[in-house]
This record gives sequence, structure tokens and C-alpha cells, in this order.
Amino acid sequence: MTTTASTSAHGPSSSSSGDDRNPSGVRARLRTTPARLWLLAVASVVVVAGLFVSAGSTLGQARDGVEVLGEDAGPQAMATTELYLALADMDAHMADVLLMGTGHGLGSGREVAEEQYEASRTRANEALLQAASLTEGDSIEERNVQAVLDGLGEYERTVGEALLLNDEAEAPSGEVDETALRRYREGSRLMHTDLMPKAFNLGLGSSAIVRANHEEGQDEVALGLLRVGGTGVLTIGVLVGFQLYLRRRFRRRLNAPLLTATAVTAALTVGVVLTLDAAGGDQSRAKEEGLDAAMALSRAGAVATDMQADQSRYLLDPELADNHQQVYLERAQAVLFRPAGNLEEYYGQVAEVADTYPDLPGEGEQPGEDGEDTDPGTLGYLGEDARDSLLPAERGALGEVLSAYDTLQEEDRRMRELSEGGDRSGAIGARMDIAHHEDGAFTDYTEALDRLIDLHGRQFEAGIESGERALSVWTWLLPTATLLVLVLLAAGVRPRLAEYR
Amino acid sequence: MTPRDEDQVVFFESSRFADPETFRGASAGRVGKRHRPTTSLLAAAAAGVLTLAACAAPGEEASVLEGDTITIGVKFDQPGLGLAEDGEFAGFDVDVAHYLAGEMGFDREDVEVAGVTSVEREDKIIGGEVDMVVATYSITPERKTEVTFGGPYYVAKQDILVSADDTDTETVRDLEGLDVCQGEGSNSASRITDGLGIDATVSDAPSYSHCIDWLGDGRADAVSTDNLILAGFLAEDPSAYRFVNYPFTDEKYGVGLPYGDVEACEAVNKAINRMYQDGTAGELLEEWFGSTDLELVRTVPQFEGCN
Repeated sequence: MTTTASTSAHGPSSSSSGDDRNPSGVRARLRTTPARLWLLAVASVVVVAGLFVSAGSTLGQARDGVEVLGEDAGPQAMATTELYLALADMDAHMADVLLMGTGHGLGSGREVAEEQYEASRTRANEALLQAASLTEGDSIEERNVQAVLDGLGEYERTVGEALLLNDEAEAPSGEVDETALRRYREGSRLMHTDLMPKAFNLGLGSSAIVRANHEEGQDEVALGLLRVGGTGVLTIGVLVGFQLYLRRRFRRRLNAPLLTATAVTAALTVGVVLTLDAAGGDQSRAKEEGLDAAMALSRAGAVATDMQADQSRYLLDPELADNHQQVYLERAQAVLFRPAGNLEEYYGQVAEVADTYPDLPGEGEQPGEDGEDTDPGTLGYLGEDARDSLLPAERGALGEVLSAYDTLQEEDRRMRELSEGGDRSGAIGARMDIAHHEDGAFTDYTEALDRLIDLHGRQFEAGIESGERALSVWTWLLPTATLLVLVLLAAGVRPRLAEYR
Repeated sequence: MTPRDEDQVVFFESSRFADPETFRGASAGRVGKRHRPTTSLLAAAAAGVLTLAACAAPGEEASVLEGDTITIGVKFDQPGLGLAEDGEFAGFDVDVAHYLAGEMGFDREDVEVAGVTSVEREDKIIGGEVDMVVATYSITPERKTEVTFGGPYYVAKQDILVSADDTDTETVRDLEGLDVCQGEGSNSASRITDGLGIDATVSDAPSYSHCIDWLGDGRADAVSTDNLILAGFLAEDPSAYRFVNYPFTDEKYGVGLPYGDVEACEAVNKAINRMYQDGTAGELLEEWFGSTDLELVRTVPQFEGCN
């Protein structure tokens, strides 16, 4: 080891690992004031540089996290969720067209239904492309995307044949041709037992990817935050030590530039830590109250789409009518759950929810000892959204969704009463009114739901933006502040060193 | 209590799942956050400092995945699904449980299977006595407030079993005026009477295996519950009974996990996906129910979501 003052002062480590066999060398030289000044100056520069690096890299990680969620993973996950909706919509319109039979003018008409079918088909394709790019590298999910692609071709062939058969048989509305019905059942079964579950799972899978990325990123940033805090405290400690040394050695009260450097360092540390914390909070809120809520509600829309298609299936397939009615209730319970053993009870429960909102029936009741007979509260996609912390505008929009959903159930009751009373054409008319693309009860419901989803989407964007804004300040503030500290350091030490020239 | 059981208890001691009171408190309050609560990074970092010594992940409760062993609850009295014989469990659920545990990274010798009854399922998960439940456990909105469900790994349907010589019963409506048996504590038959408004007489037997006996000696005309459960009985004597094959509800058989264990839930879903893709699910369904005339679904079910 060389024992020149300049090399031995290159880091704090050399003072501790000094060569014991040569005490008169390093130690003696370190005992001189200029050497100690140099040592402290270099130590200060090292810790300041360390603070710069740890703050810079953690801020970078946080920025990446926000950016990936905001521009990449988030929107892609949302797009994958759309796939399920598009598929449900396709089968719903197909059921309507079959149910119409020769009555091409029912509701908003066959042409509109066919156009909407095609539009959904296009959307399904787009969502599949998104899903394919999001699942790249995940062999299980990739195979599911492929399976949906292939299955969709088969579905289209099957229901296309059903439609052709029904047209050739010139089946009047509500009396689907027997062979056509069998083909449609095959297609709808393929859709419901194979394609839609896979599509739904793909959406869940991409939510899982977003969640894992987000949590991993947050954990990293939390660790980085610790590092920044630690380095900041260390830096302040070194600078204060420097100050104390100067005070003792030079008998001056305070070294003003050094004091300012300490203050700037403290401000820098606190500022970065607070910014990381705030940006982390923004990102979590963007994900949970924005993205997760929007995706859950978009599932609520998809399930409801399938649910109103169950109305058509209930009418067009009398043999399986009980089954379709039961499935309708089950899907409805997934959208908005209240304890109800049958549809009649359910209608009443839904009306109560719509009436009492923003209070939720069954909330705040303590479960009894048996746990079974107590009211579990208002659950399902809409119920869960109502329990989340909502902005006032969102609360208003959810209120509208709930009342539109209630109207949808009232219309459902009317349709089933007509059907049970033997008025088939009345029931079919009621069903087509519900599905009317301009003023149907279902259309009103999806529009209200879309407004609510949009609000959550905006909350997502606002959270991302706020996080990005907070972090972006530091791209120039961090180097500037670091530079300022270094300059102040130089200004504080130089005059003292000069005394020894 | 076996030594293994003690290990399990120790493993859960540090987690909030261990304390049913804490959990019930949270559930009773129904704060209704379905996501990991938004904790501040500062708080997470502080928690990280505190727990670093304990070698735990910062700010999170341990996932079932992080245990060295896994205890899985299955049925012990359900032929074809989970049946205990000579201390060994056998059935579709048991095989699924082993497959899932393997995919979740547990060696066979680290998997313990324990029998649970239907009423015990929630309490045993909440109390941490079992880590996971695969026991004809239907996912319902109520249960989802206490248990996180992976899957479903199969969607059973409620169906009707009649004796083989009954050729008149073709749909659920034909049960009008007949005697329908249900196991005690079940509400399957009430779905027919209350749900569909069909005028059938409901008789409660101590269990579904009693219902099958009653069907055999004419004390009941039909038994109605999940078709997979019925198929399990039917597989024992395929010529004696007949499925009406009129499925009218979805019973989503889920994998019960401690509430909030999203990580394990997502791992379970991935494993179920693989189980269907690599053909295991189809083989197992064939093995346990192939001898019956039940219409089996061999494609992956729609998952419930882990939140």
C-alpha cells in the first residue's frame, strides 16, 4: 500500500484498514489537518454520490412501474377483459336473430342485430390479438388464446348453419326450427362451456400479471425507499461530522456553505422519500380504484350481456326453459347478489337495493353464531363496487346503474309473466324491447354501466398522471440538487484547505 | 394431534389466519376491500425493517405457497370424490388435490390429506387447520366473504337420479307429486320446490348415501343433488340407477384457500389450466365417472377470480 496522503484519503475505508505495521505512515499523515480535511471532503462526496445513485435508481424504478401500468399492462389487461364481453355479445345477438325468425322487424330489427354481431366479432378479434401479445411466453395462456381462436371459427360455422336452417325453414318468430335449434344448442354450448370460460380466464390471467408486476414493483420501490432514507441519513451524518470537525479544529461557529449543503441534502432525502411514497400511493390507487374496479365492472357488463341472452334462450328453447331461467338467476346473482331462492324474491331484493342506495341492505349486520342464516350483505360485481371507496361522481353513476338494473329486472318479470301466461308473441315482443339498441332496458343499463366504467377509467388515468408528474420533477431536480450540494461542499472546504497552502 | 399437525399450527401462528376472532372481526365489519389494502410504501418499508429480522416478506401475510408442507382437506364419505378406506383417501377430489399441490411446488411427501365434513370446511380454513380444501366445495357469494376460492376445477350441475326402471321421469317438471330425497343440511330439493315452484315432497335423509338406499328400496322416488356426487354413487352400481340428465344449476367446485391468499389462488388457477391442457382432468373424470352416463365437461371451467 502506498502511503501518500492523497491515495490514503480516497475513501473512508483506508483510514480503518490502515497498515498496522507502519503506524507512523498512514496514521501520522492522517493526523495532519489537510489530510483530514481531504478525507472528510472525499467521504462527503462519496456519500452524496451514493445518495444520488440510490435516489436516481429508485425514482427510475418507480417511473418504470407507473409507466408499465399506465401504458402497457393496464390497458392490455382491460382489452383482454373485453374479449369475454365480445363473445357473450355475439351469442346474445345470434339468439335474438334466431328468436326473431321471419319477424325481421321485431325490436330494432334483424339487420341491426346482425350488424352488432359482426361488430362484436371484430372486437373479439382485436381483443384476441391483445391477449396474444400479453400472454406471449406463457405457454398455458398462449394455448388458451389459440383454443379460443380455433373454437370461434367452429362456433361461427355451427351457428351460421343454425341460422341458415332456420331461414330455410322460414320459421316464424319464437318457433325456431327443430334442427336449427339443435345446431344452435351445440354452438351455444361450445361458447359457454369452452370459449367464454377460457376468455374469462384470460382476462383474470392478465389481471394476475398486472397484480404481480405491481406488487413486485411496489416492494422494490419500498426497499429502494429504505435505501434512499438510509443513505440520506448517512450523508447528513457525515456532513454534520464534517461540520463538527471544522468547528473544533478551526474554532469557528458554523461553516455556512456546509450547513446549507446539509440542509439541501436533508430536503433532498425527505423530498425523494415523500415523492416515492406519494407516487406509490397514486399507483396503487390507480390500480385498485381505477383499473381493478373498471375491469370488475366490465365483467359485470359481460355477465349481464349473457344474462339477457338467457332471456332469448328461455323463449327459443322451451324444453330447456327452466334451465335457462335458473342460469339467468345465477348470472344475475354474480352481477348483484342478494340472498334469494328464486327470481320472484330476487326482483324484490334488487328493487330494495336500488331504492336504499347509497345504503346497502344487509350491511353492518353482525353475523350470528350459526353464520348461516344471517344476511351476507350486498355482493356481486355491483355490490363490491358499492363497498369500495367511491368518488361522489362515481357514487352517482353507480346509483344510476343500480336503478337501470332494477328496471331490467322489472322488464324481465314482465317478459316471464307474459310467457307463463301463454302469450308467447307478447313475451317475444317484451324480450325484443329489452334488447332494443336505442331505448331498451338492457341498452340503458349498459350505457349507465359504461359511464361508471369510464369514471373508474379516468380515475386510473388521473392516478397514473399524478404519479408520473410527481416523479418527473426529479429528473432535473435530483441532479441539480446534487450538484448544488457538491458546489456548497467545495465552497465550504476550499477556504479551509487554502489555509494550508 | 400428530406431530405433523403441530407443525401446521406453528406454521400458521404468525399469520392472521390463525386467529378466527381476528378474522371474524374483519368479516363482520365488512369493510369490503377486495384488493390488497392500499398500504403506504412508507408503512410497508417500516414494516419491512421490523420484519426483516423474522425473514418474512415485507408487509404481507405468508401465503400457503410459502409453507414447507401443505395440508389439504377432502371429503371422506363421498364415493368417487373423496372416500376414506383403510386410512387412505381416494376419489376425483383427492387426485385433483394431489395434482394441484404438485403444480404448486409441493413434493408428494409434503402433502397431507385430511378428511373434512361439509360444515367444517370454513372453520378449518379460517383456523388454519388445513391450508386448502378440495371437497365438493361450491363457490357461493356468501362463502366468498370468508374464503378465497381458486378455480372452480369443475362445474357440477344439479341433476336427478331415479331408479333404472323409472322411465317416466324426463325433466325436473316430472317430479311433480313425487318424493324427492335430500341429505340433511342440503337445500338441493328446495331449489326444485321453492326455486322452480314444483310441487314435490321433500324427505330429509341423514346423508345422500341414505338417499341412495331409500331410492333402492322405494322409500324415495328421486334423489337430487350435484351430478358429480350422484355419479359417484352411480359408479358403484351403474345398472341400478339412471340420470335424468336435466342439469339445472351450476355448482362451481372451488379450491378453498385462506381469505386473501391471492398468490396461492392464482397458482391454483394456473395449475387447473394445466390440468385441463395436459389431459389429466379428462383422464381423472373418465377414471372416476366414466362408467356412468353422465355428460362430462372436459374443458377448463370459468374461474371465479381471486380478489
